[in-house]
Amino acid sequence: MPAERTAGSPATAGIGPTGRPLPFASAAAGRYALGALVTAIYVFLLAPVVIIIFTSFNPTEANTFPPSGFSLRWYAKFLDSGGFVDAFKFSLWLGAIAAVGATVIGFLSAYGIVRFLGRRREAGQSLALLPIMIPHILISISLLLALTIVPFPELGGLIVGHIIICLPFTIAGIIASLEGVDAQLELAARTLGASRLRTLWEVVIPLIAPGLLSALIFAFIVSFGDVYIALFLSGPGRTTLPIEIFSYMQWESTPVVAAITTVQILLIIVLGLVVERLVGLRKLMRV
Amino acid sequence: MGERIGGFGRALFAPITVLYLLFLLAPISFFLLMSVFRYSPMELYEPALTGENFARLLGEDYYRAIIFRTLKIAGLTALFSLLLGYPLAYFLARTRSIWRGVLMFLVIAPLMTGVIVRTYGWIVLLGAQGTVNTTLIWLGLVDRPVKILETELAVLIALVHILMPYMVFPLFSSLTGQDPNVEKAAATLGAGRWRTFFEVTLPLSRSGILMGSALVFTLTAGAVVTPALLGGQNVQMLGQTIYDLVLSTLNWPFASAVASILVLCQFSIIFLYFRGGRRRAG
Amino acid sequence: MPSAALELRGVLKRYGSALGVGPVDFDVREGELLTLLGPSGCGKTTTLHIIAGLLSPDAGTLRFGERDITRLDPQHRDMGLVFQNYALFPHKSVFDNVAFGLRMRRLPKDEIRDRVGRMLEVVGLPGVEARFPDQLSGGQRQRVALARALVIEPTLLLLDEPLSNLDAVLRKRMRHDLREIQQRLGIATVFVTHDQDEAFEMSDRVILMNRGQIEQVATPEELYDSPATRFAAEFIGEANLIEGVVADVADGAAVVDAAVGGRYPARLPDGGARSGDQVYLMVRPERVDIATAPPGNGAVPATVTKRVFSGDLLAFTLRTENGHELVASKPSVAGYRAIGPDAAVWVDLQDCRVLPRES
Repeated sequence: MPAERTAGSPATAGIGPTGRPLPFASAAAGRYALGALVTAIYVFLLAPVVIIIFTSFNPTEANTFPPSGFSLRWYAKFLDSGGFVDAFKFSLWLGAIAAVGATVIGFLSAYGIVRFLGRRREAGQSLALLPIMIPHILISISLLLALTIVPFPELGGLIVGHIIICLPFTIAGIIASLEGVDAQLELAARTLGASRLRTLWEVVIPLIAPGLLSALIFAFIVSFGDVYIALFLSGPGRTTLPIEIFSYMQWESTPVVAAITTVQILLIIVLGLVVERLVGLRKLMRV
Repeated sequence: MGERIGGFGRALFAPITVLYLLFLLAPISFFLLMSVFRYSPMELYEPALTGENFARLLGEDYYRAIIFRTLKIAGLTALFSLLLGYPLAYFLARTRSIWRGVLMFLVIAPLMTGVIVRTYGWIVLLGAQGTVNTTLIWLGLVDRPVKILETELAVLIALVHILMPYMVFPLFSSLTGQDPNVEKAAATLGAGRWRTFFEVTLPLSRSGILMGSALVFTLTAGAVVTPALLGGQNVQMLGQTIYDLVLSTLNWPFASAVASILVLCQFSIIFLYFRGGRRRAG
Repeated sequence: MPSAALELRGVLKRYGSALGVGPVDFDVREGELLTLLGPSGCGKTTTLHIIAGLLSPDAGTLRFGERDITRLDPQHRDMGLVFQNYALFPHKSVFDNVAFGLRMRRLPKDEIRDRVGRMLEVVGLPGVEARFPDQLSGGQRQRVALARALVIEPTLLLLDEPLSNLDAVLRKRMRHDLREIQQRLGIATVFVTHDQDEAFEMSDRVILMNRGQIEQVATPEELYDSPATRFAAEFIGEANLIEGVVADVADGAAVVDAAVGGRYPARLPDGGARSGDQVYLMVRPERVDIATAPPGNGAVPATVTKRVFSGDLLAFTLRTENGHELVASKPSVAGYRAIGPDAAVWVDLQDCRVLPRES
């Protein structure tokens, strides 16, 4: 093991303990040890994000920490650079479209899975969640390949790819919401004269509205953070923000990236808090 | 109550079926099928069956090293994610703190920021003038910055960080899914805290461990961006190799063969997962 | 005979290999309250859902007047269904809940308002239009659910254990109110319950179901006096089932040698019986006569082994000389109160009925 691993940096502090509990003398000691370990793990989890935010206000070129002063020059540079701003806007647009698509298709599928599959439900659910079990790079390359053969606009490929990778998350979240809806309510609506579609609109959708909104936001977040689909399907005029950053970082790495990603982090934290308020993020992560 | 799938049920499943068949399964099957065709500089492939792609992939030391390195890093990432993720998931599952919601959110939040953001964070932390090196020099442990970027260690640290949440969630589910009375029962039967943990809690969270490890392993094996940015040319992995083959050399058949190895890993992992799960159920 | 509103013929539903319902045949007559009675899992709710169109039968037909409605979607059946848990829409006010069916029928706004208001008066809940279901008591929710089902002027009212979530006092009152509303509107109603008292107090006719099959269709009195099967005898009220052998059959009545001792006249079931048949002799506890002195020929000596006082009634458990147990239920008047535990008595059986004994 290299010597630097023993240093108490946040990066390595969490790896140091084996995670296997040692035979502590008392329960209290055990609790403190677990507490310390968990704290170290949180430092490890959050350090890279916190460091980015600090770096974005750094007045100098180098990615140093702690910063040597306070400056907004990297934010100014971000706003001046056409490439990053365009990519940011494109990512917002793409995220919105993918989120709507994945939520609508996800709702239909989730409803079908919950109400129509009966004993085959487990199998249906696994199939619907397929895209998280397939490496995204494979999905992306295969789509690129398909587009080179079939005349289909590449932008369409990018949107479809994003809808596919968002679907497992919207489906899992909406299924969780639908489980809270009493099926008898739908039967009641139908005996009162509502068609199946009308029942969806009048009863099901209003009852799971928070879940649907959460799914929408979560899908947006997944799309906005994606690199793998965009890695092969981006192009001139349709470069997502992560890809723009990725290409930039292969050549240079200045705190302008920190400024951009700070904006992104804030956007995502705000959206994440909205979802947390609505249904709780845990439900959506139950994949 | 499962109703019979009528026209309406079919209509519900139509969009996702079309989407998955046309844009997921068909293209992937086609891409993987290419691995048995011959490379052509002019066309996508030459319609002649050949085993040369696999022969080259498994025969050349360069590619063998990449496969080995990918499996090694994927395995280590899964292992360290488990070692770090288990105490975290255990803590979150058992704590009665009012901060539990916030603490959950803090695990999910980094995940939502995307791969690029977190990879960039590690570049800042691990660079020559980064926090880790400044701290080491300040402590007097080293007198010149240590090279961490462009090593397997950097890739490993970042991947553990990026993928650990995928380990925490299944673990958390399996730990909260346990009947807490089972642990209490073990305690009343005279098992100590550690005894209870090893004899009851750990075996019962087995499905979570398997699921999390499978997820992290396969996600690592397919990683491109993190190894490319943190490891550079020194840490070539399968994902990056596929990327280069497709975008630089346009060698689709060979890229397909490399991807097949990835899929093979994936299937073995899923197979092991289901076998492990079934043994537990049975 | 009143005409049939709904006819079920050979209706069958299976859940995989598990037993579902049927085949069953029965009619729902105009204006009657017909009860599907049976233990849980007997198929009564499944039958109700088939009538409502929420489940489609694997075989058989449903006819409504001249129309075959077997394959008709529930939204076109015009049946009002009240669910066990009421299934009120939690996100809609009472008004919107009751108005739902009328809105689906695209009635003008004014008419909807009128009819909802009137229907809430009919069910005894005027002025709660603006409230939401979670602001109502159980009994009020029940009435809203009833109003929602009735306001569409359904051709058939279907009630799925509507009283089972109410407390005992409320349940008694709702039985009366429901029956009264049903008779006032003259609407044919199918009522599902597992509660025999409910079925008896409210129904014109009762269909007794067991394990997906119809055991008996009868008025409450017939069902009590003349159960057709052992299941019917034991599920409805209490019954003494005494093994016996038919000694003689004449003029639709039999004479049976009972295992408790003695020979009793007994009415025959629909299927009849022949001399020498192994049968049960069914006798209700209140038709078991007890006397402290030998009342004449036919009476059998027995000992009281248990005596339970419950206010208006006394329940005796008796053991006959040859070791058989009988249960007797008598009014708690001076004569019977004088009979203590361990008393020696004479027992006679009245109104006996022959039930087939399946081997």
